[in-house]
Amino acid sequence: MGKKKQKIVLPPELPPEIPDEAVEVSDEDVAFVAENREYTGFLSNLDTKSINKHVTRVADVKEDDLESLYEKRIRKRSLDKEAEEQGLEVDPVDALPVKTLDGKLYYRTVPKATQKSESEDKDEANANKANANKDGGTDASVVRLTKAEKRAKLKKMRKEAKKQAKEGAEVEGIEKIPQAEVLDEVRKDMTVEEDNEKKKFRLAELGTALLTDPELNIKSLKEMLEISKDGDRDIVVLALKSLLAVFRDIIPGYRIRLPTEKEQEMKVSKAIKKMRFYESTLLSVYKAYIQKLIAVEKQAVYKRVAVRCICTLLEAVPHFNFRESLLAAVIRNISSEDDVSRKLCCSTVKSLFTNEGKHGGEATVEAVQMIADLVKDHDCQLHPDSIEVFMSLTFDEDLGKREKRDADNKFKSKNSKRKNLKELKESAANEKKKARKEMMSKTREEVTAELKAASLTTDVTERRRMQSDVLSAVFQTFFRVLKHALRPRSKAGSSPQAPGSHPLLAPCLNGIGKFCQLIDLDFMSDLMNYLRKLAGSGNNSGDSSMVGSACLTVSERLQCCIAAFKVMRNNLDALNVDLQDFFVQLYNLIIEYRPGRDKGEILAEAFKIMLCDDRQHDMQRAAAFIKRLATFSLCFGSAESLAALVTVKHLLQKNVKCRNLLENDAGGGSVSGAIAKYQPYATDPNLSGALASVLWDLNLLSKHCHPAVSTMASNISMLSTGENQVYLSNKSPTQAFKELSLEQESFIVKSDPKSSSTKRKKGNASLEHISMGSDLDIIAQIDENDVRKKLSEHYLLLHDIAENERLRGELARTTLSLKLHEQYKKQKKRRTN
Amino acid sequence: MRPLDEEETTHVFEKLHKFVGNNLKNIVENPSHEGPDNTPGRYCFRLQRNRVYYVSESLVKRATNIKRDNLIALGTQIGKFTKGGKFHLTVQCLGLLAGHAKHKVWLKPTSEMSFLYGNNVLKGGVGRITESISEHDGVVVFSMSDVPLGFGVAAKSTQDCRKMDPNGIVVLHQADVGEYLRMEDEL
Repeated sequence: MGKKKQKIVLPPELPPEIPDEAVEVSDEDVAFVAENREYTGFLSNLDTKSINKHVTRVADVKEDDLESLYEKRIRKRSLDKEAEEQGLEVDPVDALPVKTLDGKLYYRTVPKATQKSESEDKDEANANKANANKDGGTDASVVRLTKAEKRAKLKKMRKEAKKQAKEGAEVEGIEKIPQAEVLDEVRKDMTVEEDNEKKKFRLAELGTALLTDPELNIKSLKEMLEISKDGDRDIVVLALKSLLAVFRDIIPGYRIRLPTEKEQEMKVSKAIKKMRFYESTLLSVYKAYIQKLIAVEKQAVYKRVAVRCICTLLEAVPHFNFRESLLAAVIRNISSEDDVSRKLCCSTVKSLFTNEGKHGGEATVEAVQMIADLVKDHDCQLHPDSIEVFMSLTFDEDLGKREKRDADNKFKSKNSKRKNLKELKESAANEKKKARKEMMSKTREEVTAELKAASLTTDVTERRRMQSDVLSAVFQTFFRVLKHALRPRSKAGSSPQAPGSHPLLAPCLNGIGKFCQLIDLDFMSDLMNYLRKLAGSGNNSGDSSMVGSACLTVSERLQCCIAAFKVMRNNLDALNVDLQDFFVQLYNLIIEYRPGRDKGEILAEAFKIMLCDDRQHDMQRAAAFIKRLATFSLCFGSAESLAALVTVKHLLQKNVKCRNLLENDAGGGSVSGAIAKYQPYATDPNLSGALASVLWDLNLLSKHCHPAVSTMASNISMLSTGENQVYLSNKSPTQAFKELSLEQESFIVKSDPKSSSTKRKKGNASLEHISMGSDLDIIAQIDENDVRKKLSEHYLLLHDIAENERLRGELARTTLSLKLHEQYKKQKKRRTN
Repeated sequence: MRPLDEEETTHVFEKLHKFVGNNLKNIVENPSHEGPDNTPGRYCFRLQRNRVYYVSESLVKRATNIKRDNLIALGTQIGKFTKGGKFHLTVQCLGLLAGHAKHKVWLKPTSEMSFLYGNNVLKGGVGRITESISEHDGVVVFSMSDVPLGFGVAAKSTQDCRKMDPNGIVVLHQADVGEYLRMEDEL
């Protein structure tokens, strides 16, 4: 108490003390502000002024609150000092039990106060507060928490544990034993209902302990595993998750190899023994954990948790032991029905593919081969995502080439150096030196060889081998899917799946398009044959012989065409090959396209790749496509028709002769070739005789309701007049399609009220206006109000007219009845008369 | 002038089929709008002095008025029978083939002249080639601006052409439009 008085009486002593422990100061300030909310403004004022003033005023101002604050601070400091002193003088074990009841604070305070993390400080501040509220007399460190607070602390502890693990903070491990004892006591005190709570608590304890010092507490892994076998669902989930967190942090960056018997017999130092024990325990528990995960993954209740754990583990430690079983579990779930777990698995596999540095590429090979087997086993009836993951594979084409050259260079330079050296040596004729040097070089070589074997970076040949393995597995899968798609439906029909459904075909075709530059030229002709058959498979459904064959959708067939073009384009070295058959397919597919059923993006992509990007076209074929696209754009939505029109413009710009189509009179004669009359239903573009027709469609399209389409159409029809102009083909069909399909939704909404309005013309005019202006919505709103007003007027009027008519009718009826009545009266009179 | 007998017909159709494939049907069923009849007639093949002509029916009817010795030609000549009984396509049928061709080769402008002098088409001269040509298919040769120049027989399939060196022969020459100048008398 004497100390305390001193402190109060001599405020100037404070400043020199404070800078010693910066954390403490901030802590105090926080506590102060928290306690004296009323003074905060005042305080801030003070802060701006000099320290002297601040100190004096505080001395003046402080009342009971401040006093208590000071008291507490001093007490705590003295306690800390005591603890430190004890820690220094006596065994820390003795110092600790004072704080065990708290559970958390007690071993934290032993390390120097400067190590305290912020959250802890807050905790302490809270504790202080609580203390102050209850009674200032109790010790700051002995705080009894309510259960809710305990739970909150549990969470915090986990966070801190992770933080600590990352920081690699060193902690004294010996404390654990008393902690466990105390915990046992506490456990006895608890009622049965709190058993679960206790287990959670225990889990957190063990986890934190493990993370703080894995080597010492490795045994507690087993206990955690035991807890995970609990019957309660929450506990199991928590156990699995906390084990995951622990493993993720403590698994070393290398693969553990258990010592052989021979090695075990050898005498080893204590450290190595310890290390071996640690590794073997870790490995055995890890194995048990993975087995548990895989077992649990089959139960519907735990499925998601298990899959999440497996995925995270595989993603975090793909180099470690038992990767195969993890990978197998992931691949098994890659096409699961459950969206969440499938997405997880897919992203895991993708990250495996993209971060090959972590596992040196071996996992990639395994994963790809497993997927290939999966596809084989399930007869290509899987979710498309399972093949989609191949898209994130990367192949280094230059792999090996450059390094080989480097090696050659090195070899040469080495040789030359050696020669020089030899000459030098010979001139020196120093045998001893030579021998020593040879020895040196020999040992050096040995060391480098060992280093190479030990390091994770595999050499180039190995990597090339793995890459070729991956490639072969990938293409094996792709070709299997293609073949399956070609197989007659009669066989597939017997299976429960819908006949002729090929879920894997679309991603497979995408993949072929992406990796086609890696296909061997020898396979090329087979591949093209398959693609041609697939693209034409829907066409032949009329033939009796081909009825059994699988019928693909229009989008799938379009994708076949696109894939074929990509394959051809990427292999176009010397020969420019014209894919006549695929053009014929596209020509026919355009008619079969239905906006709701088929994907417009694919159609637009086909336009882009097949018609816009290809450099030359037959005049006949180009004309046929132009005519068909123009007709096509009359029938479908604005997005599709704009894509088609953009293509038409491209084609017309490239093929000057086809501009005859824009002239008013039909070409015919020699220009149109063998066919004198346009045949709109011809299947072969070369035989359609499109040059004999006129693009009258454009005239209609220039009155299209969508302004973009109408301007594009009128632009195209102007092409022939301004021939010398340089046309900038600004947009690709895909872009045009995307823009319009995005705009379409809002556009339709806007145009709806107008179409209901009676004045159609006005609506159209305002439509154009809308799309031009940037402030679409405002105008639309105004228009809406306008329309509403007009409509209400209109209906009011209608209502009035109807009312009027009704009244008139009533009037007429009453007058009629009156007349009748009069007549009746007259007749009566007459009769009476 | 007489219609072809069965053997001759198979010869002619086999030859044409090499060039036009399934489009042969279109050649045979092509409606003709010649003559006074409102209903379009057909085209047919007629043999006159060992030469085969592709003639519309109405023209055939009118040609019957002329004595066989005096009739030099009618319709479009498409080929001739050799003394050994083989059938050769001649350059006059180029228009017909070009309209219905299945396999095409486009020549680079630099190598057009060489082809028109009666040489084979080399790989270096090919500007573009139809995919899926197999060996010994009939190929129609075009200039890059889609003007038919002649026809020939594929020496290699498209796949094999990829691996060839630039001096390899892609198309063996059979006929070209240069013959109109070079062999004016024989045609």
